[in-house]
Amino acid sequence: MTLDRETLVLEREELSPGIFRLTLSAEEDFLREAGPGRFVQVEVSPEPFPLVRRPFTVNRADAGSFRIVFEVKGRGTDKLSRLSEGTRLRVLGPLGRGYRMLPGRWLLIGGGMGAAGFPCLAERIDCGLILLGASSGSRLLEVGGFSNMCITEDGSSGARGLVTDLLDRVRWDDFFNVALCGPVAMMKAVVRRLPDAILEATQVSAEARMGCGWGACEGCSIPASGGGYLKCCSDGPVVPAASIDWDLWEGV
Amino acid sequence: MTGRTWSLWSREFDSPLLLASGTAGFGLELMEMGCLEGVAAVISKATTLRPRKGNPPPRIVETRFGLLNSVGLANPGVEDVVTRVLPEASALPVPLIVNVAGETVQEFASVVERLETSPVPFGYEINVSCPNVSEGGVAFGASPSTVERVSRLVGQTSSRPFSVKLTPNEGSITESALAAQEGGAGAVTVCNTFLGMTVDWRTGLIPLERKVGGYSSPALLPLTVARVHLTCQVVDIPVLASGGVSRPEDVLELLAAGASMVQVGTWLMRRPWSGTELRDGILELLENLSP
Repeated sequence: MTLDRETLVLEREELSPGIFRLTLSAEEDFLREAGPGRFVQVEVSPEPFPLVRRPFTVNRADAGSFRIVFEVKGRGTDKLSRLSEGTRLRVLGPLGRGYRMLPGRWLLIGGGMGAAGFPCLAERIDCGLILLGASSGSRLLEVGGFSNMCITEDGSSGARGLVTDLLDRVRWDDFFNVALCGPVAMMKAVVRRLPDAILEATQVSAEARMGCGWGACEGCSIPASGGGYLKCCSDGPVVPAASIDWDLWEGV
Repeated sequence: MTGRTWSLWSREFDSPLLLASGTAGFGLELMEMGCLEGVAAVISKATTLRPRKGNPPPRIVETRFGLLNSVGLANPGVEDVVTRVLPEASALPVPLIVNVAGETVQEFASVVERLETSPVPFGYEINVSCPNVSEGGVAFGASPSTVERVSRLVGQTSSRPFSVKLTPNEGSITESALAAQEGGAGAVTVCNTFLGMTVDWRTGLIPLERKVGGYSSPALLPLTVARVHLTCQVVDIPVLASGGVSRPEDVLELLAAGASMVQVGTWLMRRPWSGTELRDGILELLENLSP
């Protein structure tokens, strides 16, 4: 059930400069429903500002707790990064539609913080390979226990280049499903290079500036391929790649 | 102080709280989450004659002390609302007030005419003040004579009571309120969002495609209190306060300033259980006040 839950910050870790992982307490019913790709709306502070909540994908759900991973980008993430262990935090969720857990081998493609939801996903599917790109090695979110192929813009980890450069090395016949998440420019470049059959099997975890997070305010619109808009929060955040109008979508 | 009631259009409520248009959809998501306890009535998203896909993203930008929105009246159009949405909304545990927008005076009446065929609406809120559209928005609602014409035509078309949602952005809100009353409105909503804009001073970029948006914030409360007070000096019809509510104290302050009912909007986006939280809060405050 979607509830406004009072959670406890159990652990706060700075994974690398500006990138944080919070472990939050969670009840059984939350963990059961917090499937891969779903998200939570976090009330950053009990004070009036920041005003609306901030959405985060579930990074991993364990017994009694779950994690979110984020990079400090603005006021909301800055406040969150400074919370001390033991702080109470209101968390609304789980929200949205997650990945369709289809059978067959999966390829995961992530850019930067876009890979934050991959641990939760990888452990519940037949995950064959994870392609990761980031600006530098300290920005890579590798998923332990799985085959990661990494590339960075500055060459500090893996080859130097963009995640699209790794696509040539993929044997597409090995995969039945693709999960794609990252900055919109990166996802556009990837989508342009995917073989048609693979594009049809690609699920995108989208991001948008969000108001409510539960489908009412129409703030988090994403251009839809059939015209009009998808609501990121309730039609998604995970949607078929083919349902997005990639030419019109400019992202966050 | 249990047993306290508030009334609107001959109906008694155990809460003074209305959910502001645009922040609650048609109440269906909130119903599913169990958030409508403590809510007197839901005010729907604006309904227009034809479907509107709304403005391109981004539609929401948070600034230091508030929120700018530019949704642009996205809605499936009155035909779909009547045939698909309202039958679903008939399951709501509270009444639904349907917000109506139009580009011309006649269009408001046409939308209401179609809505009259549904048994679901409790009343209407006539939105002559959207800051995020080019036709039928702020300038429209700033003219008292237009407000009176819209009110009169809607009144002739509707068997149900309606409130006219006024703009704080242009013209005189008290003159527009008087014009609405003169035209037969059963209430006025004071008021819609304030015109606002933000610019990235480094790049000169303006995030919203229409540049300006509707600004809302808990910090706006005194602006609403003043407008509610001034409006109550000149009209006899109920004033529905809208703008700046985030605490039970805010609700009581607006009621003390003369409002009949109080809307909660942006805060609802953050706290979907606002109806319950604020209603419980005001009952507790009132209880502690009385000996």
